[in-house]
Amino acid sequence: MPELRKDPLIGRWVIIATERAKRPVDFIAPAEPSGGQELCHFCEGNEAHTPLEIMALRPPGTAANQPGWTVRVVPSIKPVLRIEGNLNRRANGMYDLMDGIGAHEIIIESPQHIANAADLPTEQLHGALDVATRRIIDLERDPRFRYVLWFKNYGAIAGAGRVPHARSQVIATPVTPLRVKEELLGARRYFEDKERCLVCDLLVQEREMQHRVVLESSHMVALCPFASRFPFEVWLVPKTHRCDFAKMQPEELADLAYLWKQVLSRLKMVLSDPPYNALLHTAPFRHPRGKISHWKTIEEDYHWHVELIPRLTRVAGFERGSGFYINPTPPEESAKYLREAVPEAAVVGVSHV
Amino acid sequence: MSELRRDPILGRWNIVATDEPDGPADFEVEAHALGKGKCPFCYGNESMTPPEIYVVRPPGSTANGPGWQLRVVANKFPALQIEGPLERRGLGVFDLCTGVGAHEVIIETPDHQRQMADLSPEEFQAVITAFKVRSLDLRGDRRLKYALLFKNFGLSAGASLEHSHSQLIALPIVPKRVQEELKGAERYMEFRDRCPYCDMVAQELREGERVVCENRAFIAFCPFMSSFPFEVWVLPKAHSADFGKMTPEGIGDFSRLLKETLVRMRAALSDPAYNFLIHTAPIEAHEREEYHWHLELMPKLTKMAGFEWGTGFYINPTPPELAANVLRDAPFHG
Repeated sequence: MPELRKDPLIGRWVIIATERAKRPVDFIAPAEPSGGQELCHFCEGNEAHTPLEIMALRPPGTAANQPGWTVRVVPSIKPVLRIEGNLNRRANGMYDLMDGIGAHEIIIESPQHIANAADLPTEQLHGALDVATRRIIDLERDPRFRYVLWFKNYGAIAGAGRVPHARSQVIATPVTPLRVKEELLGARRYFEDKERCLVCDLLVQEREMQHRVVLESSHMVALCPFASRFPFEVWLVPKTHRCDFAKMQPEELADLAYLWKQVLSRLKMVLSDPPYNALLHTAPFRHPRGKISHWKTIEEDYHWHVELIPRLTRVAGFERGSGFYINPTPPEESAKYLREAVPEAAVVGVSHV
Repeated sequence: MSELRRDPILGRWNIVATDEPDGPADFEVEAHALGKGKCPFCYGNESMTPPEIYVVRPPGSTANGPGWQLRVVANKFPALQIEGPLERRGLGVFDLCTGVGAHEVIIETPDHQRQMADLSPEEFQAVITAFKVRSLDLRGDRRLKYALLFKNFGLSAGASLEHSHSQLIALPIVPKRVQEELKGAERYMEFRDRCPYCDMVAQELREGERVVCENRAFIAFCPFMSSFPFEVWVLPKAHSADFGKMTPEGIGDFSRLLKETLVRMRAALSDPAYNFLIHTAPIEAHEREEYHWHLELMPKLTKMAGFEWGTGFYINPTPPELAANVLRDAPFHG
């Protein structure tokens, strides 16, 4: 019998289609043709081909926009939102609109031409995550922005574009996105009812039950959520309650990098290098607006997390029309495969735990 | 400068690229190659599907044999199952219920080579009539709260079989996306005492620049806040909550306009993959006239990526004004 499961955070139902149950082998797609031999703008030595860098991790003595860096941030060459200008909010009859103001930056995660972040050493991922927190903190200073989304697209199906070079992106938006608002409202509703954080409660339950946990590190848990929309969907959740990703302590960041490397490597092993999207959900910027703070209890009720979505199924008319997803692989199965896939120590490097 | 445009019903913002917009030639469209395997939807292979639930066939032909014009069968790999009780329960912080529901396939034509856009006006009307008959029939089942009619055409839009078909999934829950629309429409009505969809139709007819085509009872336009390039909505011009209440005359008008839209889209975008879906009032609320049913059609030209998943807002590289213009100029010989 298929099951309908409800996402406790935003109230979205998912169909766990047990009759169509699929194992990893059902999803393995032919390898995507790799990009041509054209010059990669993101490689070390080609710094002149990108816009000027916003920041970089580079040893003292090397100059900006020159080789020698380990992680580099540049504005997107095709930004979806522009940094200059005012919002210019206005109406057009019954419709509302504003100018597309925002920031769109690319975090180049390695100076070498490596496509999948799973193949980068943990220290390199640590550097890239550290840079992401610094960019978020910096963008928060711009009062026009309400939210910044860190995300990552890997593989053509996941929208990564043509250049196979590991990178993540940040986009700062002048409105809090709907999907984030739904989570914030769901978290607040639960908190008003119970005076506890929903995700903290969920972690207690998942760690007791164990069958949806992929693995734990000292500060983090990787799990396949109960109402997973997609096969092999994984969330990375900090054990310490915190609404704001950028407030993480240094040892927590190192630990996240370790877990990230583990999870990405396992996903690559189990599903033969699948395309994926990853994204960070953290609290919106809390600039004081008016007299009443918009999110009074957010520090206590919201819990940041990373969502990792392998792109194995297609979103079609039903999903678009209903907001329901049909997931052919129960998360308990997904977690089991990922738990049992142990990458070699040499591949993942030394644990920071 | 790109624009952020807000959906007046859902409150969702989308990014519409207005400075360097993508036209039809900027999208890669995959060809719809016809496979060689035995197709369960073709004449002679009726035994490969579950028995027919509804059929249009001439008198004298046998049920589940060849000779039919349109067939509705249960999906062989249903996402939900019709048998069994609806049981809701809790599991710690989680809620779940048994996957009860209906999943039917509407086989629109026996001809493997033809797309929905190729159907004659009469055949097209038979498909829309089947949509109506099947959704009305499922209303009798008290466990079901919503019936979603939709179509996936082309591999990249999620069609697993190439033979022209649509689907119907009836759910024991009113889906979130529909609830959001209902709530948004209600909020708008409370404030203005008017239906937001009626206002939209009025503004689009007045401005004209986003209209693709229209006839006396229906309008097809690219919505102001389109989430996808070349997205088109088809709405009845007169307020009507329930798709199931359409008269035979209305079905004729709707069929003609939807066919015209599909033909124009195929010509303008080199036969793209697409999805469409019909949003109508939920089963229990179809008597209340607080909603305005409509069809949403989106060609599959862009890819969902991390930003869309994370924010729920979409980056649309083609302003709807440009899309409507391209579709209006596309050849159509009605």
